[in-house]
Amino acid sequence: MNTANAYVRSALFLLTALVLHMALFSDLRVLGVAPEVPLAIAITAGLVGGPERGAMAGFLIGLGIDLYLPTLFGLSALIYTVWGYTVGLIEERIFRSAWWINVLVTAAATAGGLLVYAVLGELLGEANLYTDRLYVVMGVAAAYNLVLSLPLLGMWRWSWPRLLGEER
Amino acid sequence: MATGTRTGRSRFTLIFLLLSSATLLTLDAREFEPLQRTEETLSDLISPLRTGADRVFEPVGDAWAGVTGYDELEAENEALRQELQMLEGQRILDTDAAIRLELLLDELGLPYVQDIPNVVGEVVTANVGNFDRYSVQINRGSDDGIRNGMPVVTRGGLIGRIDGDPGRGHSRVTLLTDPGFEVGVLVVGTDDVALASGGGHGEPLMVTKGLEIDTEVAVGHEVVTSGVDRSRYPPGIPIGIVTEIDYDEARLLQLLTVEPSANTDNLSFVTVLLYDPLAEES
Repeated sequence: MNTANAYVRSALFLLTALVLHMALFSDLRVLGVAPEVPLAIAITAGLVGGPERGAMAGFLIGLGIDLYLPTLFGLSALIYTVWGYTVGLIEERIFRSAWWINVLVTAAATAGGLLVYAVLGELLGEANLYTDRLYVVMGVAAAYNLVLSLPLLGMWRWSWPRLLGEER
Repeated sequence: MATGTRTGRSRFTLIFLLLSSATLLTLDAREFEPLQRTEETLSDLISPLRTGADRVFEPVGDAWAGVTGYDELEAENEALRQELQMLEGQRILDTDAAIRLELLLDELGLPYVQDIPNVVGEVVTANVGNFDRYSVQINRGSDDGIRNGMPVVTRGGLIGRIDGDPGRGHSRVTLLTDPGFEVGVLVVGTDDVALASGGGHGEPLMVTKGLEIDTEVAVGHEVVTSGVDRSRYPPGIPIGIVTEIDYDEARLLQLLTVEPSANTDNLSFVTVLLYDPLAEES
């Protein structure tokens, strides 16, 4: 499989994940909270592909979801880029992870990412982000993404098998 | 060496992507038109995929809502049954009141809500994120005559307004429960125009500005849109019922709690009033 093929797979994966998030996962709410699939995509991309791919996947899925959010266009892209990069960097520098560490990191990074999203959004003038409900959203979304992380990690490995092999 | 090159490249990628995001944020905040048109085009491109997937997964979402919200559904059913009985009795009175309101508005040269052209839209996605509880997407857009700011109603009354420039086949509705939502209102039977604002998800609306302390208002009074000069909303759209009255002695104002008459949860179809106050004026 060549690089172009890997990019096509990644694009297909991102588009499918975006559509599935809007059509299915956003309806599967517990305590009014839906899984944060786009954020989980950025985090797992960073864990599997490293900081650069984490940043790129975060940017693209962030732009996709920004089309459908009432917040400023580019806000999700900005935060998911930083988060995908940061998680990728931590994974690369600190722990070459076992699968269960990746799962836990996805959950923790989801909670952290949502906090950053709410704080930065409020700083940029968006209302109703940093509210009393934020901690419920962080907890439930983290639990959801803990479950979703395994299939997502597997999908990223499917998207970049050769590239990952060449780098290791 | 290879690792160093890779790190340098990834830093360059990060900086490039961050600058791109910051640029998009700035342009969007300044309502840069070409960017908004690009957003609409991209959104229109994805829309058919999304609509198809919505149709496929709708039963899954419904089943999930049934399982996780069974108690709420039961309570809601009971409330609806009681409401239906009450509405049946109210119907005859309303017909008479509607005729009288139409005659009054006609005398004043104001449009009657039922005469305003409208478009019925289906709610395609309630909300896609965890921070957008106050908006829904509908499958009607600029091709149907919808423009930014137009009022959106259901049979129960006002539920919100079109937010931002709509796409060709879709638009976003900000719900009146949004704490940033404001609408000019009139308590039926009084002449005072006041300002109501959203109180948050599942919470009543609050009237905190404009209602003088000596105005006679009682619990149970109906609240409708005022439709005053250049208001985005035509007069007479039901907003809700006064459930609590408080007094601000310092500002000599009455503070009202208003229970919305229209339910903004589980919306399926909504009506967009193609109302343009400036066009009506001219």
